Amino acid sequence: MAAAAAGSLRRAGWRLWRGRAGLRCQLYAPQQGFRASAALRRASEEQRKEPPSPSSQQQFDPQQADPRPEQEAWSPGPSYTGQDGQESQDYESEEQLQHRILTAALEFVPEHGWTAEAIAEGAKTLGLSAAAAGMFHSDGSELILHFVSQCNSKLSDLLEEEQKLVQLGEAEKKPTNQFLRDAVEARLRMVIPYIEKWPQAVSILLLPHNIPSSLNLLTSMIDDIWHYAGDQSTDFNWYTRRAVLTGIYNTTELVMMQDTSPDFEDTWRFLENRVADAMNMSSAAQQITNLTGLNQRR
Amino acid sequence: MAAAGALAPALRCSLGRHRALSRAAGRRGRWPFLAEGASLRPCSTRAALDGINKAVVDRIIRVDHAGEYGANRIYAGQMAVLGRSAAGPLIQQMWNQEKDHLRKFNELMIAYRVRPTVLLPFWNVAGFILGAGSSLLGKKGAMACTVAVEESISDHYNNQIRTLMEEDPEKYKELMQIIKQCRDDELEHHDIGLEHDAERFVFSCFCSLCAQK
Repeated sequence: MAAAAAGSLRRAGWRLWRGRAGLRCQLYAPQQGFRASAALRRASEEQRKEPPSPSSQQQFDPQQADPRPEQEAWSPGPSYTGQDGQESQDYESEEQLQHRILTAALEFVPEHGWTAEAIAEGAKTLGLSAAAAGMFHSDGSELILHFVSQCNSKLSDLLEEEQKLVQLGEAEKKPTNQFLRDAVEARLRMVIPYIEKWPQAVSILLLPHNIPSSLNLLTSMIDDIWHYAGDQSTDFNWYTRRAVLTGIYNTTELVMMQDTSPDFEDTWRFLENRVADAMNMSSAAQQITNLTGLNQRR
Repeated sequence: MAAAGALAPALRCSLGRHRALSRAAGRRGRWPFLAEGASLRPCSTRAALDGINKAVVDRIIRVDHAGEYGANRIYAGQMAVLGRSAAGPLIQQMWNQEKDHLRKFNELMIAYRVRPTVLLPFWNVAGFILGAGSSLLGKKGAMACTVAVEESISDHYNNQIRTLMEEDPEKYKELMQIIKQCRDDELEHHDIGLEHDAERFVFSCFCSLCAQK
């Protein structure tokens, strides 16, 4: 019974991470099956010894969940309607549940790596059974994607805050190279607690089936940084700038993984040099186009 | 003008519209429904972007921007050849209106955080070649090129307006107004092209082709 539940969870898990983030800065949206969530709860009900998690969203009526798996249309964050048609606010969506599990799993990553074990440990802290890890792909991809997506959202909020301060006049507007440096440094610092296992994460993200999602997250992050840096280009510069910044970010990340200096000083110095290089190159390119007459803005 | 005719469908799919603009009273005067500078504030568009169908709006703005950009280059090509001829001022006027349109779509692009098309360098060259090439056949060739392009563009804009209407007329009111204005301008250009004997040129080309067969 538990094995069948785990099997259906696994199939649903395989489908879910293939969902793409549609909007910028959005947490990647796994596809959902209500059945998987219901099966998870059934399994956890059987194996749970301790009382249910104090979160009120965990309240659950087994009789109501079972008859309705196929009829529920998927929608993000639904409140499931019970038999009497009343909306119950006690259910959380499967997506929310998965996010909670993955967030809880992050604290076990330094010990277990980006693996199903970490996810299982995380599920246990939430009072669910370790079989919850079966909801996810076995190589830990979703955990990494979830983490990256979380970091990107944090970065985005940070940049939004900074921008508000500048607009209110409480802070100076930074020059572009300084802004880029600070943004990339802030984003890379979020990885520091997991730096031991980060090479594993990067290699998993490079697996073919993960590349669309990870590329999506990377490009939206870079686009965010440029957007808040004030980039308003509407020509091919749009692509050039993002390509350059992506290069800077990736190389700095690689340097950081091998850096042993105190507080990663070498990394930030490397970053500073690369950003300065990029600025020099862009002004040199402008000079060349001016000289050769390729610049249409005469 | 077989070449222009053959290229027109390709342009139609990817260039978006050419627009004929009536003489602008002033840059902001033509777009009274946009508050001054409202769309130019960087990074504060988070709230404005919620609730719209980003994919649809992205595509519309990207294609229209590419279209305006291509139109600019076509007129630049035509001016390069016919700039000093009698048709020069007319083409210059139409070109100015296209520049205005391009500016407008640049602003929209920034406001909605849309990425520009990656084919911009290609449209740069292709548009110029089309404009210059059609102009080498004379003023009528240039006008025929204009007519062919404008015709497909009006269709394209109408399709976009239809799409936005189906989505939500209220939410996209401003965008639709801009597109409608542009479509009207394009139709005007189309009529100007016809006025200047483009049709006769096409007809005579067709006749000569038939005669050769």
